[in-house]
This record gives sequence, structure tokens and C-alpha cells, in this order.
Amino acid sequence: MVVRKKVLKVCRECHRVVEGEACVICGTSNLSDDWAGYVVIIDPEHSEIAKKMNITMAGRYALKVR
Amino acid sequence: MVESANRIYAIKTTAKQERTVADNIEKVIREQKDIHVMAVMVPEELKGYVLVESPDSIARIEQLVELIPHARAVVQGSTALSEVEHFLVPKPVVSGITEGTIVEIIAGPFKGEKAVVKRIDSGKEEITVELYESMVPIPITVRGDSVRVVERSEDAS
Repeated sequence: MVVRKKVLKVCRECHRVVEGEACVICGTSNLSDDWAGYVVIIDPEHSEIAKKMNITMAGRYALKVR
Repeated sequence: MVESANRIYAIKTTAKQERTVADNIEKVIREQKDIHVMAVMVPEELKGYVLVESPDSIARIEQLVELIPHARAVVQGSTALSEVEHFLVPKPVVSGITEGTIVEIIAGPFKGEKAVVKRIDSGKEEITVELYESMVPIPITVRGDSVRVVERSEDAS
């Protein structure tokens, strides 16, 4: 049986990958399912990638949101 | 400038499982304390690899790969963030396309048709094209990533 992967959406404002209908952080429902690139920030305080992207919270983010 | 202790390692993964691997790395890192990973990056352009930011040695990353399904091997050697930071700011897909460029549509109902670019909307990343072999010019708006450049226009002026 083919199990279709759940389509994850991304908040257009903070680029965070969200499950559900609204962004947990921004509270907006301005979500997009057309996105590319993926970053998982585990330790934002010590991560250079997080600094470059101005991310202060751990979580999953998209690099590009349309 | 002080060079950060963090290095970037590339992990080879099963094709199309890059995101799963990234999620699994996060899960494993949270469960144990020996391996330190600060961030995992999956650039769209880099198929079959995930990039891991870690202050640890490559031996630790090899250990990590053993714990993760779909992760296959660590590419020997490491790099600095400056080498991969261009992945963090993806360039717009319409860059390199100018008016007059001949493109081939690679997706949608007009797949395989050649067309001439008439207008570019870089904000929405859309381009308006006219089919090459069409008798009457009908403008069609397509997404910037559903075309492939065949021939660049000669006079850009």
C-alpha cells in the first residue's frame, strides 16, 4: 500500500515548518505548501547556520518559501 | 575574525530521504549526549546529501551515521560554513532569464513546447511566455522553475 507523506506547511513569516493550520510562534495562518530547502536547528545558541539565518529558536525551517 | 569551532560535514543519504534523515538526526541527538550537532541543513540543490554542523570530530559523525536509517556514509573531510552558506540564501529561479530568452517548458500542459520569454515577474517568480510554434501569440504565465533555458537572448540591451 502506498502511504502518502503528509504535506507539511511553512509559515510565510518565520519560515518555520508547521503541522496544523496556524504557526505556533507567529500565530498567523499565512502558510505555504510550496517551499524548498530544509534546515533543522538543534542548538541555536552555538550554531553558525542559525546565526546566519537570524534564528533564535530551535526547530525545523525552510530555506525558501514561495 | 575568530574562526568558529564548528565544522560542516556531508552525510550521504538514500535518494529522496534527505528530510527523513535530517529529522532522524535531530531525534537521535536529543536522545543522547555524546554527539553534538548544532544544525542539519538540507539544500534543495544538493540531492542525496545532508550537511551537518558539528564541533565534533569526523569519528563522532561516523558514529552518528550508524544510528540513523537511510544515512549511508560520511564524506571524508570537513569544510567551513563559508563554503556552504550560499545554500542558505537561495537565488531566485528566474535569475538568468531575460526577456527574449528561448525556454522549454518542462512541466504542465505545455510540457515539451518551446517558448519565448515576454515578461518576468521576479517577485512572484513567474514568467510570461509565448509559445514558439503557435500561430497566434497567446501569453502563458508559468512558474519560473517549470522552464529550462534553451538559448539566451543575444542582445540583452
